[in-house]
Amino acid sequence: MVRPPLTIDEQIADMRRWWPSMRAYDIDRDQEAARWVGHVQPQFTSYRLELRYRVWGNPEVRVLSPSLVRQPGNPEGALPHVYPPMDDPTLCLFDPAAYEWHPHLRIAETILPWSFKWLACYEFWLMTGRWVGGGRHVDLLPRSLSGLTR
Amino acid sequence: MTIPFTDLDPFQDPLDSILAEVALSVQLPPSLHKKTRSRFAPLREHLEAHPDFKDHIEWFYPQGSMAIDATISTRGTDDEYDLDVVAQLGDRFRTMAPLDILLALEQALQGYPVAAIIRQTRCVTIPYADRMHIDVTPALRDYGTPDRQSRITHAKGPTASTDDRLVDMNAFGFAEWYRSRTPVEVPFAKAFHRRWLDHGGMEVRADAEVDDVPDQTDFIVKNTMTLALQLVKRYRNIRYANYAGRIPPSVMLSCFAGYAAAPRLGLAEAVIRLSNAIILEIEAASRAAQLLYVDNPAHPGRDVFTDRWPASIAQQNEFAMHLRDLVHSLEKMRKRQLAPNQMMDELRRSFGDRVVTKAADNMATRLGAALETPRQGFARSGALILPAAAPAIARPSLVTAKPNTFFGVKI
Repeated sequence: MVRPPLTIDEQIADMRRWWPSMRAYDIDRDQEAARWVGHVQPQFTSYRLELRYRVWGNPEVRVLSPSLVRQPGNPEGALPHVYPPMDDPTLCLFDPAAYEWHPHLRIAETILPWSFKWLACYEFWLMTGRWVGGGRHVDLLPRSLSGLTR
Repeated sequence: MTIPFTDLDPFQDPLDSILAEVALSVQLPPSLHKKTRSRFAPLREHLEAHPDFKDHIEWFYPQGSMAIDATISTRGTDDEYDLDVVAQLGDRFRTMAPLDILLALEQALQGYPVAAIIRQTRCVTIPYADRMHIDVTPALRDYGTPDRQSRITHAKGPTASTDDRLVDMNAFGFAEWYRSRTPVEVPFAKAFHRRWLDHGGMEVRADAEVDDVPDQTDFIVKNTMTLALQLVKRYRNIRYANYAGRIPPSVMLSCFAGYAAAPRLGLAEAVIRLSNAIILEIEAASRAAQLLYVDNPAHPGRDVFTDRWPASIAQQNEFAMHLRDLVHSLEKMRKRQLAPNQMMDELRRSFGDRVVTKAADNMATRLGAALETPRQGFARSGALILPAAAPAIARPSLVTAKPNTFFGVKI
């Protein structure tokens, strides 16, 4: 029997409980979608983060400010572990082949903490040139990830 | 995030953590610390083997930064250390001229297995092959005064001069005063001791319980303000790296640190507090058209720490300006106003390229190792709490997350 995913209201309630600084906007119960925006401070810098999610879709996280810094020529790429386009990158937080994310999981306990980890790794990548968070880069994105939830 | 100070690694704050890493890189490493202690006894024995000094060394004790555990690398270097020891001499020296005492000390040290014996104005320097220098300062005790209040020799040489004199000092009393002002902060000392051993390549169990650490007497840096003092000294060394004249003396900075010490300061906060204390005193002196005056709280009015610096109001104002730059820079970092790469640029300018690069690299390596374990947690601010603060991980205020694999394309 197919198990129903967590509803958008359940995700909103979880987010409010764990991450009160991330406020929900554009809640669309018909589309089972929402957008959260808030300030977070994983390590050295404060960021304004946006998380968009539609049930059955892939969550999408982007840094609204400050702009993410590129390091052309770095072995990990000018900006590691992101989805294009280059002028509006979103964070690549999980490997779809490893089934690390699915809509039965709480984004408050997965996507958002993974974003904080990504930001911490990004900061040390800026400071040292090394990406210490591990992960996997591919040449082409899987079709399921090529058009995200927007 | 409200985790009681006693529960948490005091270096959990990322800025404090990188500043502590910088301090670790510039202070005496565990291997040399052990070696230093082991060098005092043979030095004393060598001196006592000389007929002039036999039975005439009353005390042989560390002074200066070593006495207060604030030793950092010498100006212009990342791995040379100057250490100071006082040789309190007996009666036969009391009638000798300052230069004669220094010459006698220089003579007695000849034959000691080092490359050279170098007589200075107030001490004799012994340079070791590993680039450590020990300055031996001869002193004569002022009997009937507080413990180890003494006079030390001042004579430029090579011939006697009217400027030759004995200078009042009580380095021992100052160290006692400093230690009383900067008591052991147990959580800080434990956390720092662990990092110190780790940094020096000494074995330290990553999973050691917080109480499973050496006795308090083994802690090297015991108080946040002492670490802040090391950072301000390092900052001074960098800012005056190409400066030919005298620079703000370490003992004066130590005295300000003693006055500025307070419980439960974060490291960046302590550096700012110490810097501001110095800035305020300089501003007050300059407003009154006076030179900064700082004397030894254990020998007030006689042991003057500012007797050779500053030579002018402009000189003290210049130091205050440097310190204002440091405060401004750290405040921006504390307010999270700088991107990490900009922060690195500021830190490099303040504390030197090599040590800051190394500090960030050490932290990155630690982060990478921590992310391979499932033990990290997240505070409500988004702050990543690493296993160094493992006792706090189980706290309900922290969120844990299942493992993930970063993915994507290189763009």
